[in-house]
Amino acid sequence: MKTAVQTKTLTLVQAITDGLDTMLSESKEVILLGEDIGKNGGVFRATDGLQEKYGEDRVIDTPLSEAGFVGAAIGMAVNGFRPVVEIQFLGFIYPAYEQIMTHASRLRMRTLGHYTVPMVIRAPYGAGVRAPEIHCDSTESLFTHMPGMKVVCPSNAYDAKGLMIAAIEDPDPVLFLEPMRSYRSSRGEVPEGKYTVEIGKGKKLTEGDDVTVIAWGAMVPVAMKAAEDMKQKGINCEVLDLRTLYPIDKDLVIESVQKTGRTVIVHEAHATGGTGSDLISLINDEAFLYQKAPAERVTGYDTPVPYFGFEDHYLPTPKRVAAAIEKVMKF
Amino acid sequence: MVEVKLHDIGEGMTEADINCYLVKPGDFVKADDPLVEVQTDKMTAEIPAPRSGVIKELLLTPGQTVKVGTTLLIMEDSSGGSKTVELQKVAEAVNSEAPQADAAVVVLDRPAEVKVPVGVSARLGRILASPYTRKVARENAVNIMEVKGTGPAGRITEEDILAFVKLRDHGGASTSEAGSEQQVPNISKYASEQEVPNVSQRASESKAPNVSEVGSEVKTAAGHETVGKSQDILPFRGRRKQIAKKMVQSIYTIPHCTHFEEIDVSELIALREEIKASGNSISATAFFIKALSIGLKEFPVFNAKLDEENESIQLLREHHIGIAVDTPEGLIVPVIRNVEQKNLKQIHDEMKRLTKLALDDKLTVQDISGGTFTISNVGPLGGSIGATPIIQHPQTALVSFHKTKKRPVATDQDEIVIRSIMNLSMAFDHRVADGATAVAFTNRFAQLIENPKLMLLELM
Repeated sequence: MKTAVQTKTLTLVQAITDGLDTMLSESKEVILLGEDIGKNGGVFRATDGLQEKYGEDRVIDTPLSEAGFVGAAIGMAVNGFRPVVEIQFLGFIYPAYEQIMTHASRLRMRTLGHYTVPMVIRAPYGAGVRAPEIHCDSTESLFTHMPGMKVVCPSNAYDAKGLMIAAIEDPDPVLFLEPMRSYRSSRGEVPEGKYTVEIGKGKKLTEGDDVTVIAWGAMVPVAMKAAEDMKQKGINCEVLDLRTLYPIDKDLVIESVQKTGRTVIVHEAHATGGTGSDLISLINDEAFLYQKAPAERVTGYDTPVPYFGFEDHYLPTPKRVAAAIEKVMKF
Repeated sequence: MVEVKLHDIGEGMTEADINCYLVKPGDFVKADDPLVEVQTDKMTAEIPAPRSGVIKELLLTPGQTVKVGTTLLIMEDSSGGSKTVELQKVAEAVNSEAPQADAAVVVLDRPAEVKVPVGVSARLGRILASPYTRKVARENAVNIMEVKGTGPAGRITEEDILAFVKLRDHGGASTSEAGSEQQVPNISKYASEQEVPNVSQRASESKAPNVSEVGSEVKTAAGHETVGKSQDILPFRGRRKQIAKKMVQSIYTIPHCTHFEEIDVSELIALREEIKASGNSISATAFFIKALSIGLKEFPVFNAKLDEENESIQLLREHHIGIAVDTPEGLIVPVIRNVEQKNLKQIHDEMKRLTKLALDDKLTVQDISGGTFTISNVGPLGGSIGATPIIQHPQTALVSFHKTKKRPVATDQDEIVIRSIMNLSMAFDHRVADGATAVAFTNRFAQLIENPKLMLLELM
């Protein structure tokens, strides 16, 4: 890995473009596929200018058929390419679900390791951008249940580029979740050139002794804001950005939870079957005796994500997170 | 040589925690003497000796969790019999069906007596405690069933465990005793004030801030409001809360009546000077204690325990007098036992010994339990002229001695003289005794102190 010294200030979505650009220029095997990603630059302009730069053979506009281009990408991956497909919204991935769950995720095992599927599925996701129904789904745990798929979710520009490069280089299929709400909400220093953020490693954002707050994607700023508010009340939160949802960075979680004895998990997905449940099971397995209070979850509700008029009521807020933190502290 | 192993003491248990050993190497034990206390997830039980002999080696440490079949300790037959003889004897004595090859290793197959610690039976059931609290209990070899919870819904908190450990380590006596008989220093308002610095210190050591206090607006004693300033807030939990509980229990159960008296201690001071000149020194408190004991013989109702359930007042023959000692760790009340059988010197020596232990934080549970009457000598602290001491439930009375001051006093001959006068406050349970009896009691006390030579008549 080259160490880049030059940095530029980018939004999360620009960092993704930068990551794709970096990999397109580095390796001819990297191919982008998706609806309107070429001329149009994608719904969110994540592939803006890339077709112009690398040509229609490398940045391919596909017909409106998720199952079709995901399936095609699987075939390309098995045959030596490193395709990156864009699903316009995570909620549109269901037609391709069969391809992902029965082929992409299992080929390595099915062929006893003879073939791997080095592909990336990019999917903007999450509520908070006033998008219509289905566009806001946060169904990441549908994909963490099937071994074989890696699921990553950056919360900032630096991680977005580093994880994107790591995902493209990874020999296995990676679902790359892009929090829409964070696409342009902040900017960060992003090194030029190539660097990676290791898949499977979370990050401790703040040090604290009192309670561990675990979040990812667009919920990281929410957790950080709550932690900041708590600090003024004398409660020190240790905020963890999970970054990878499968495989989870167990060491990071357990070490922190063993230290604090209290946990609050924040995710915008539905509570039932959400990744928060898995985290609580993990804590139960590995840190039961350290628990001073039952772990709390602040999540979306067990309803479809509502129309945008009610979005804000669905999404976890710093206030709700703060209430959960106080609850575990008071227990 | 006999290896005593952990056997299934019921309900198909597979493992148990070692709570404590009840013997040490070199001890001689008879068959069925308890050797080690273990705790399963359902009960606490003692493993008895399979036969008499001498304890050779303890193999485990308290707090360890071990599987059924693990050797707990090794005993040696006191007769020093050979292994082969042992084989047979043990096999016959313990389990006639034990295979010969295994007989050197004695595993008790018969169901052992399952003993529940005293005072715990009523609490068998769900113990409320977080896993972390249980871990702390385990690490400190505390049987969590014996700890009284002060948290929400009676939940046992980490602080409860640590307070329990502290109390237990004062003496290392049986934990169940410590648990069932919470020793809370029972001294009026003054005691509470004394405790405060300790509690705040503990609070600053404690890592987790108490959210219920932090963040909410709190009115301080001065009346001004502070928002979220933890340094202005003292946690109300642990020992402080225990004391509060005891105080509330006492004050709501016992109709307190406080009676005040002035005592002329000039003669006592003179007598002490005389004794001092002879090379001995007996503290004034020792005289007070002796005089109280003499008074209690005549007014046993103040050395009594009200048993409402059985509608009786038990007059206790033994005078175990608790003395409040102000230590850096907080107020603690060691008990001078059988004062009625002790002379002044013995009382003095015992008091000195207990005070030193208290100051060194080395009192045992034995030292601080079983009091029948309590005194609090606040005189050396100066200042106070009277108080309402809160009785240490289930005792009947408590006497506080206040500062001795020189005061002009009118004599029977209408002369004004300077005398050393000490105030005394006596709180008593008005259910058990009446004011007249209390006055008679303190009068008798005053008589003995004002003319200490009268105590000679009471010499044993």
